Amino acid sequence: MVRYLIKNGSILDPVQRVITLGHILIEDGKVSRVFEMTDQTPDYESAGNDIEVIHAQACVVSPGFTDLHTHLREPGEEHKETIATGTLAAARGGFTTVCAMPNTQPPYDTPEVVRHVRYISRRKAHVHVDIVGAATVGRQGQALTEMAQLAEAGCIAFSDDGSPIENPAVMRNAMAYASMLGLPMMSHCEDRRLNAGWAMHEGAVSVRLGLPGYPSAAEEAQIARDIALAEHTGAHLHICHVSTAGGVALIRHAKERGVRVTAEVTPHHLTLTDRWVLGSLMTQEVAPSWASPPRTGSRARRKKKPNDGLRSQLKLNPTLLPPYDPRTRVSPPLRGEDDVEALIEGLSDGTIDVIATDHAPHATVDKACEYGLAACGISGLETALALVLTLVHSGALDLMNVVSRLTEGPAQVLGRSPSSLRPGQRADIVIFDPELTWTVDAATFASKGKNTPLQGQELKGQVMLTMAGGSIVFRHGNFGKENGGKPRPSILEGILGEE
Amino acid sequence: MPHQTHTSHPPSPTARRRHVCDLDDFTREEIEEVLETADSMKEILSREIKQVPTLRGTTVINMFFEESTRTRISFELAARALSATVVNFTGRGSSVEKGESLIDTVRTIQALGANILVLRHSQAGVPYLVSHHFKGSVINAGDGCHAHPTQALLDLFTIQQKFDRIERLNVVIVGDILHSRVARSNLWGLTKMEANVTLCAPPTLLGPLPFWHASWPNVRLSSNLDECLDGADVVMALRLQKERQQAGLLPSLREYSRFFALTSERLAATSAHTLVMHPGPMNEGVEITPEVATSPQSVIEEQVTNGVAVRMALLYRLAGE
Repeated sequence: MVRYLIKNGSILDPVQRVITLGHILIEDGKVSRVFEMTDQTPDYESAGNDIEVIHAQACVVSPGFTDLHTHLREPGEEHKETIATGTLAAARGGFTTVCAMPNTQPPYDTPEVVRHVRYISRRKAHVHVDIVGAATVGRQGQALTEMAQLAEAGCIAFSDDGSPIENPAVMRNAMAYASMLGLPMMSHCEDRRLNAGWAMHEGAVSVRLGLPGYPSAAEEAQIARDIALAEHTGAHLHICHVSTAGGVALIRHAKERGVRVTAEVTPHHLTLTDRWVLGSLMTQEVAPSWASPPRTGSRARRKKKPNDGLRSQLKLNPTLLPPYDPRTRVSPPLRGEDDVEALIEGLSDGTIDVIATDHAPHATVDKACEYGLAACGISGLETALALVLTLVHSGALDLMNVVSRLTEGPAQVLGRSPSSLRPGQRADIVIFDPELTWTVDAATFASKGKNTPLQGQELKGQVMLTMAGGSIVFRHGNFGKENGGKPRPSILEGILGEE
Repeated sequence: MPHQTHTSHPPSPTARRRHVCDLDDFTREEIEEVLETADSMKEILSREIKQVPTLRGTTVINMFFEESTRTRISFELAARALSATVVNFTGRGSSVEKGESLIDTVRTIQALGANILVLRHSQAGVPYLVSHHFKGSVINAGDGCHAHPTQALLDLFTIQQKFDRIERLNVVIVGDILHSRVARSNLWGLTKMEANVTLCAPPTLLGPLPFWHASWPNVRLSSNLDECLDGADVVMALRLQKERQQAGLLPSLREYSRFFALTSERLAATSAHTLVMHPGPMNEGVEITPEVATSPQSVIEEQVTNGVAVRMALLYRLAGE
């Protein structure tokens, strides 16, 4: 096996929350040594031709990301994505582990299907694939799956994601049973009696566009229910893709009470709002006041102002899209500005543990239609890092926090050992340039899903190299082969000490 | 914020418009021009031979994916009065259910040589999608709960004809506001013409005020029709679809009528000049009583007649140089 020396990178440790300049030696698929810049570095380059040097100056070297929420579509919808294409997209996005969601056809609801998916993954996957088992048979929300046998087959959590478990008694039993196995119950929180026929977030934009709304309360009511059930059963509840300010507040309050609840947020819910559905209508002089509607009660209290001007620094431009572009349709929907602010705040204060993509690839025909009939979902793996880095560049979040929520956060939800680049660890590594600017072109995605509302947007931050189990699974151009460039990312000025 | 900065370049009044998706991109000047043209068209319609050769050689396709009688016939008569070739295309249900995608259907229609597509669809936003794939012009004849710009223009035209102005008139729109494309397009039109607009409905058919204020800052919301009618110059009742009651948004049609219908008693409390309007089709006895619909204050039939003139004006505007 090839040995690698990653040289002159800014090595980020999301557990210790430090960044040090140094080098990492990878042997036998593992991190074998980490050298700080001040150490005497052995001259490995002349030690033999089986060492490949990866020049990583100006780049952050981090443990590989884990995506807690990925739709790989295999088996059953291979025209949308396969394990091979989805995991290649993951590698391009810096993810070295993805957790495959069970809403496939058939769903991951029997040990046989799970073994089959693991078999394909071993042969075809570019990064590590973990499997989330269905909580109920056929994801119908009625009979529990053989959860213990699914766990034996390798499932690392349970979920009916894509659909809520509507019957609260079924949810209670699923949670109680999962707690016996020590595995988290990942809940897609949506009360479908409150959002029947929805096309987008219910708010000023849905009223203007005449589209049926998905009220925030439809998510919040279900989160409240599931928290009550988690408190009652003692199970580990993980809230998938929280999108509302009210949801964040409920999770925060539950954590304060000591309920075993964790939560994830997607990059798109952190950065895009329901105004993206307006698309080019945003340029017309027709919406004189888009001031947020005044909130009452506890939400008004939470209203802070430090984020003022925050989005003015985001250069994301929704007017590149036509009005009603189905690429903006996603479940849960893109929410309001207040929700985005609350999600960012929740990520800052630790209420939200994880950034997960909810990568939901679709075929072009699933989106080339009327807005209300279009499939929900965003192909997110390949834009995730750059999208959340917009918040780092704007000063809303710090880099350490963001990387931690992509690495340490998911590890904690899954009960895994902390993710740090220490000797002996599996060499799952991502190297990214936080400053490199690029333009999103879905045609270049490895994912079969070209469905991104970010088409044509300029983003800052690019994954340069991804290593899974000591093998390079993605390399951006000729990255790392030449020595040169600036010594460190300017974004780290003031974080890194003097050499 | 970048998506709040609206670049201020309103189209110049004479700029050639390609599509009519809604009134949100019309300036007051353009609306006034359309109403002026409609006035000339109305004169043509009063002639013995109600036809001019203006659009000879232009093909208009009425593409209706949702049932409609008056709007389709109105467009057809408008196109014929201008000597255009008219073809009606009626699709049932959504294109997805049929198996052929809407975009394929539009490409086919284009290949057949259509110049102007008049489009009605049950899904909001479809005119934007279609205009993206069609080289000619698209006129929105109603899309979901979003917009019905030709209805709003004919309403404006009717009001203008009666009052000789629209500015500062008190206009009350009562009914199922939340699900009404007529209400939304009228909001754009009436506010651009600087009328004072009040929306009146029970909360289940209205939604929160801030949602409306974001787009139409000066509109008033109320659930008390009697209060709204005080000082009203125009009152426009909307059709109440009976499914709203079945969906649980209303306790009963009887209760709705009791509090939100235009009745003779309510009309008696308004001034004699108050106009009664309705976009049709009416549920007589639900949102309006037959006596009110046929009262001297009612201009409901004139709305229908004016619809042809306004649609002629728009066809002329899109096709003419």
